[in-house]
Amino acid sequence: MTGSDFSLIMLPTLACNADCEYCFENKTAQYLTLGQFAVLLEKVMDFLDSEHIGRLSIYWQGGEVMTLPPEWFEQANIIVRQSTLARKKEVVNYIQSNMIGYTGKWNRALEEMFGNSVGSSMDFPNLHRRLAGGGPEQYEALWVRKVKEAGEAGIRVSVIAIPNEKTLEMGAERFYSRFADELGITEFQVNTPFPGGRSNWVKDGYPLDAERLGRFLLDLAKVWMERGFGKGVKVGPFDMLMEYFTHGQKEFLCIWQDNCVNGFVCIDPQGHVSQCDCWAASYAGFRFGNIFDSPGLSHILRSSEARRRLQERPGMLIQREDCIECAYLGICHGGCPVRAFTVQGDLYRKDPYCSVYQVLFEGMEKLAASRTRRAAVAS
Amino acid sequence: MTNEITYNIPASLAAAFRGRKVIVRSPDAAEIVASVTAEDLGNISYIKLLSLDGEMDSLKTWGPTIPVELAVTDPYRDLPLLYRYAPLLAGHPIRVSVPLVTGFGNVVKLAVSLNFAVKMEGGQPEESLADELQRIARFYLHQPMVSEPIEFFHSLFLAFFRRAPVTLWTIQEEDPSLVSYITDRGEETMPGRLAGVAVKEMFSTFVRELRDALAAEEGECAGCEFLMHCLGYFKWPCREYRCDAVKALMLTLRCAAEELRADIDSFQTRGGGART
Repeated sequence: MTGSDFSLIMLPTLACNADCEYCFENKTAQYLTLGQFAVLLEKVMDFLDSEHIGRLSIYWQGGEVMTLPPEWFEQANIIVRQSTLARKKEVVNYIQSNMIGYTGKWNRALEEMFGNSVGSSMDFPNLHRRLAGGGPEQYEALWVRKVKEAGEAGIRVSVIAIPNEKTLEMGAERFYSRFADELGITEFQVNTPFPGGRSNWVKDGYPLDAERLGRFLLDLAKVWMERGFGKGVKVGPFDMLMEYFTHGQKEFLCIWQDNCVNGFVCIDPQGHVSQCDCWAASYAGFRFGNIFDSPGLSHILRSSEARRRLQERPGMLIQREDCIECAYLGICHGGCPVRAFTVQGDLYRKDPYCSVYQVLFEGMEKLAASRTRRAAVAS
Repeated sequence: MTNEITYNIPASLAAAFRGRKVIVRSPDAAEIVASVTAEDLGNISYIKLLSLDGEMDSLKTWGPTIPVELAVTDPYRDLPLLYRYAPLLAGHPIRVSVPLVTGFGNVVKLAVSLNFAVKMEGGQPEESLADELQRIARFYLHQPMVSEPIEFFHSLFLAFFRRAPVTLWTIQEEDPSLVSYITDRGEETMPGRLAGVAVKEMFSTFVRELRDALAAEEGECAGCEFLMHCLGYFKWPCREYRCDAVKALMLTLRCAAEELRADIDSFQTRGGGART
């Protein structure tokens, strides 16, 4: 927890303008007031002071953040700046939005607070993202239009994509082309789906078949290496893995930290503190405490039984699972707790996508070695 | 020129050794923090936590960059506890010391996975550990994820590579001419496995005399190709200890070092850069 960096996943609202079938959040109409945000931020700053942490990354997510008015963020940014100045901290803001509510009115907030950069989400093919009462095609057409409008306003949109059965059928080449060539997205990331929140027929199909998903990811990595690597296209998590296997740089997704508990927390609009957004809106039993009802964030983190269970997880996995035998222990540590819990009902099991990760790690290691060899020969 | 002695002291004696180079040990991180003043920090080689069970929050914001050694005593019990210390890396280099007993290999592997350095301790590993030692040596030599030193492999490998006369007594911080161990009662003894050999006059000459005595005997050490680096390290305290496993281990390290030398020489011959 100590060090120069800490991250806060901030959920100012759990309202959403979409109705995606695989969403792990239970939506509510609640939102955070600016006054509450100011109080909350001061408590987070107190915590940073006590831990000698100088830099805070705030990931603004929802629900859907753009169900709040852009003026809310402009005011929130003033609060952040005032606090930053008073506390002598560095704060960097990131925003994750489905872009459905984007209009030109957002441009000022996006520029001033987020450096003209937005993280969004879209799948290929899009089967499960939809508006309430609408279909996936309608949603995708709207999303494409909004992303195009944002691009014209100078806003860079990166994308998180969740593969589905059809994605695996269509293959990596088609997937890559859709984002990089057709949509002109130069930064996208593939996340694995999990059955968080209320169950339904879509989530009943998770986790995806490990062998097919592993093959797809490795194929996608190869396509990216051939067509996008070194040409300004970033595809996660391959870019991070390539960096690690080439230069030893360990900067990974949250699912591959030695313990995600050490790096960030999530706070929802009611002030509930959880490990991340995956827990916040659907698993009340995993809340650490409430920031408004507590003396401070340090107190919550020190005293939370739910957090203690999460903290124990990697140590438990080392004893219960076969992680210690794995050549990639140092970049995985048993994977994501919420994926383990939602698939296996047990926090102390390794990530259900373990075999997918192993295939990916081994494949990326070979690709990195091959590239290094070619570079050495060329020089 | 004489080397400055480093004193391995209990935290309770920090004030008594002020101004001298020290390793400060305690089972309790808070005791170390309470015993060491700000001006002492410059003289600390590292601090050693003798137990992994206690709280370590007090170290998070204390003595930035002071190295921390975590003493694993029972590999099975202590293995999962290593994760608790990962956040300390933001402020301190961390090394794990682990005895060469059953289960040590898992500790080495997890420590390295967490970006901790490792020091394996114990000079006469049981025969049953021979395979595990070889496995960990190969892990150290060939596993790309290893980015921190695993001692004694690392310094020995470098000694072979550089053809430098570095000894295991020095690598393992058990050379009595360099390190002195102060007991909890304040008595000065030799370090590590030599603890209890409390004859001050012997401190500076102990290792040399042991080597000379072993070389003169008609035993395993006479003519041993590794005596230059070992100096009888594996013959203490039991001179009858058979060195087959450790000699095989050193051979593995030396072969790898020689292979690397050959590769670099070949690279230089073809116009590559200079060896560093």
